[in-house]
Amino acid sequence: MDNLGFLFAANVVVWGGIIYYVYTIRQRNRALEKDLELLKETLNRKG
Amino acid sequence: MNPDAVEENQEEGNILVWLTGLAFLAAMIAIFIYVPTERTEGVIQRIMYFHVPSAWLSFFAFFVVFICSILFLWKKEREWDIYAQASAEIGVIFCSLVLVTGPIWARPIWGAWWVWDARLTSTLILWIIYVAYLMLRTQCDAGSMRARYAAVLGIVGFLNIPFIHFSVLWWRTFHPQPKVITNEGIGKGMDPTMLATLGVSLCAFTLLYFLLMGVRVRQENLKDEIDRLKKEKLYSS
Repeated sequence: MDNLGFLFAANVVVWGGIIYYVYTIRQRNRALEKDLELLKETLNRKG
Repeated sequence: MNPDAVEENQEEGNILVWLTGLAFLAAMIAIFIYVPTERTEGVIQRIMYFHVPSAWLSFFAFFVVFICSILFLWKKEREWDIYAQASAEIGVIFCSLVLVTGPIWARPIWGAWWVWDARLTSTLILWIIYVAYLMLRTQCDAGSMRARYAAVLGIVGFLNIPFIHFSVLWWRTFHPQPKVITNEGIGKGMDPTMLATLGVSLCAFTLLYFLLMGVRVRQENLKDEIDRLKKEKLYSS
């Protein structure tokens, strides 16, 4: 039985899912860093 | 936070990244080179080495949600709520992978993408419960009530997991019966090379869980800190 296509599809789903999740974590990290920078700037201006 | 502690945390994080990477490399070698092709199902059976660890990881993640939710309701400390939230998110991601890889495996073997048998249906219900858990967290305003509702849902949702595990024993299902943990003992129903490959893959996925948890927990703590500073700024101006 040759089902290489299905095995390949499952691999793509698993790796794609993990990579996409890591990407969303990175995006959230960037948003937080931006927030932190803005906050620092505001506090320094008030400072 | 103390700068030394931050540096130490980063170093531990780097070690975990390397360990996880190496574990996945070993798992890939074992899955695609080391382990022999199963006689009846052929190459498609190799999906098991992703499907079962994904299921294990999601169940483990939901178990952590269950424990942390109990601890949150008991101690009322935000820390436990953060752990539960991070773990639920990871659990949902890997439960989604189970629900996608399962049908890809089932199609050539059963001749159908999906059947409404007890194992598949109860896993889908588990996924829906924890998606609802994450939606509850995004829809409600931040505060202890949100955390309390989420904790209750996190506990109730976990009660589905023993049902999922025993469903294949209680009913006649399309889904095969457990092969790793059987009445004869752990791994007795499997070929040793297959068991070793599954073990390596399980280790890799478990390490990935701890890596992702560490990152998500740090992120939530930072978010809390930013919110706190914003509030302070708001009240001081």
